This record gives sequence, structure tokens and C-alpha cells, in this order.
Amino acid sequence: MLSVISYPVFALSVVLSLVLSISLFPIGWFEFRPEWLGLMVFYWTFRAPAQFGILLAWCLGLSLDVLEATPLGVNGLAMALIAFLVLTIHQRLRMYPMPQQCLMVFLLLGINQMLVHFIKQMLGGEDAGFSYLWPALTSALVWPVVCVLLDNLNRKLG
Amino acid sequence: MAGVAAIKTIFVQGPVPGLRLLLVIVLSAVLIVADARFDKLTSVRSVIGTGLAPVHWFGNAPYELQNWIEGLFTTRDDLLAENEDLNARLLILERRALKYAALASENNELRRLMNSSEVLDDRVIVGEIVGVSPDPFSHEVIINKGSRDGVTVGQAILDAHGLMGQVQQTSSFTSRVLLVSDSSHAVPVEVVRNGLRAILLGNGDINALELVHVPDTADIREGDLLVSSGLGGRFPKGYPVAEVENITKESGEPFVNIEATPKARLNQSRLVLVVFPPDGEEDEDGNEHGQDEPAVNVGIETDPDEVR
Repeated sequence: MLSVISYPVFALSVVLSLVLSISLFPIGWFEFRPEWLGLMVFYWTFRAPAQFGILLAWCLGLSLDVLEATPLGVNGLAMALIAFLVLTIHQRLRMYPMPQQCLMVFLLLGINQMLVHFIKQMLGGEDAGFSYLWPALTSALVWPVVCVLLDNLNRKLG
Repeated sequence: MAGVAAIKTIFVQGPVPGLRLLLVIVLSAVLIVADARFDKLTSVRSVIGTGLAPVHWFGNAPYELQNWIEGLFTTRDDLLAENEDLNARLLILERRALKYAALASENNELRRLMNSSEVLDDRVIVGEIVGVSPDPFSHEVIINKGSRDGVTVGQAILDAHGLMGQVQQTSSFTSRVLLVSDSSHAVPVEVVRNGLRAILLGNGDINALELVHVPDTADIREGDLLVSSGLGGRFPKGYPVAEVENITKESGEPFVNIEATPKARLNQSRLVLVVFPPDGEEDEDGNEHGQDEPAVNVGIETDPDEVR
């Protein structure tokens, strides 16, 4: 647990992750795009479990729903699930070395993506095979960078 | 068990996360059902979307910045050359427009003689693509014109080369456009050469569309231009949509497989046109006007000679 967290950094990181999730992107790389908002929810509930929890994650997920034009609540539910799972394991997560943390990011974001696609398919979306798991993998790969960057910002500004 | 309880008393949020998760699950389920099945939340979505407009602006900022910096470093000579170029193009297009105006009035004259209604020209506004959908499985873009500019759901979006898609959702400052290549999108089209009607489906591939239910014996060739037929009342008639790329016949199948490439540059265009139906023919409440007349028109318009 960080001793101090900086709320401006929180706000900025969330807005930036929303911007990144809708910014223009080369079309072939589209499905490999990290799930930025999921990463942010993971980071902030992990670092400050007392301040950021399920309800906030749900609200952030709702805004992603609006940006993505998915039925309202799908991403909300999935983000809340990430926050819940992080809350239940965050004491152990802190002890893990970085590679193992990356694995947990992959697992949790994979569960998030799975839930989103499960609900979408129930509502009549197309079946995309397992390719929906790519964002979870790329998120796990960028996790060390994101984590170190936000930690440093928090220490400086918090 | 005792150990778990002890830990829970040390850390502040003990049984609450489970309870909150339950609350959130119930709330989400209600929202999803209300939104997906009963379509009750469009206004909520529009409000949140308006609140998120800054996100779209930020997302577009790098491009604006690049534009601005490019503007700073463009030389006078370049600008003059570009200006000359544009003037030349304008002249060519103006000449074509003059000719078009004469043809349009002549066409209307002929239509009047045939007792059918006149064709009004469509009104357009220019918008700019400011974002794309984060979901890689849906082909959607976000444009910077919203309900404040009069954009409504269902309007057609064009680029300089052809039909791009239709407005699916609006908020105050932005709207969401479903591209023709999305797998849930279909456009009624006709072949320019002979007026053959068919439905053009998107299949999730940005460079390929699918023309379905065309019988084995139909007169269609590779290279045929497909234009929107205006049937179904959603898209205006006569805008180019795609070109037939490849026809494969499989013996035993009643229909041929036809692949077409979209005319619009779906993943390159930045400026788009939002088409408004001509005044007096708003299709939002179409039952105001006599619905019989357009139906008669449709019959006449599919006559091969008049399609051109």
C-alpha cells in the first residue's frame, strides 16, 4: 500500500485511459490494444484499496460502456468484478514478484474480457473465438511500465 | 477460518466488498436488460455521452496539434501551389456542377411530365471523425457533429468517394456512426448498369462487403458499381456504395457468392458528410405525408434507363 496517493494523478490517469481506449489506432492492431481502463481499475484498487473500490470501478465501467456503445452495465459489471477480485487478493498480490503480478493481471483482465464477451454473445453479438483474450495479454505486458510510472508519480505528487 | 476473520478485522473493508458486488451485479443486470431489451436508456446514455465529450476532444488533440504544427512550417510557395491546385479543381467541379444543374432541372421537368414527384437535392453538413470505437469487433466511428447540429439517428454518412454508414446514436456534441462494413449492417443497393436490386451486408472486414441473395442467373459482373437504392427509406438514393470485386458460383447453390469493395475509404477518410433528407421529406415522421406516392416512384425509378 502506498503511504500517499495523489488524486490529481488518479483523475488524469483515468481520463487518459478513456482517451487511449477511443483514440485512432492502426486497424490491423486493433484487437491487440490493451484494456487501459481495466488496468487503471486494477492499479488503483491494488494500491489504494481503502479509497477505490467496487462502486467507483462500476461508474468507470459505465463510462466505457457509453464510449463503446455496449449495453449500459456490461463493462460496468466487468470492471466491478476486477475491483472485487483485486480487493480479495490484494494482500497476497503485494508479495508477488513482478512476473507473477503480470500473470494475475492477465488472469483478472481475461476474466473481465470473458464476462464482457459472454454477455455480448448472449445479447446476440458475433462469436470471435478466443481472440478477445489479446487485450488481456497486451495489458499484462504493459503492466510493469504502467505500475512503475504511476508509483513514481504518486510518490512525487502525493 | 479464525485467521481469515482476524485479517478481516485488521483491514477496513471486511464483508462490504461482497455486499457491494451483489448490489452492483443486480444494478448492472437491471441496466443491461433495460438497455438491450427495452431500449429505455437512450437519454441516460446521451447525457453521459455529452459529459464524456472532453474525452473525444482530448483523443483528437494530437491530430489537431500535428495539423497546427504542419501549418506553422508550411512555406508560402507550398501554400500558393496548393491554392492554385485547389482553384483548378474547383473550376473543373464547377463546370460539372453547371452541367449537373441543367440535367437536374431537365430530369425534374421530365418527371413532372410523367406525373411523379420531383427529386429534391440533399442538404449536407461536413463533420470530422474524432474517434473510433474501442471494440475491435464493431466498426464504428465518432464524428464531431451531434444533436446540437441537428443530427438524428438514421442519417446517412458519406465521404468523398461513397456511402460510409449511418448515424446510430447522438449526444449533444458527437454522434456515433455505424460503418457499412460492420457485421450488423446492411444497405439496400442496386446495380447501376441494369437496376438489379440486392442487399449489401457488412461482414466485419473493413475492405470487403457481401452481396447476398443474388440468384445464379442474375446479370451481374465483376466491376459493376452498386449504388444505394433508397428502398427501405433509410439511405438516400443514388450514392455509390461498393464495386463488385469477385463472383464465385458454386454448382448446386441457389445463390452466387459476391464480394464487393466499399467505395468509401472507411479507414482513411477524416472528413465526412452528414446527409439531411431534403426539407418537407423528413423521414422521422414519414406518416405525415402520403406514403403511396413514394411507393409509385420506387417502381418507376428501378426502370433500367432511368437509373442513370
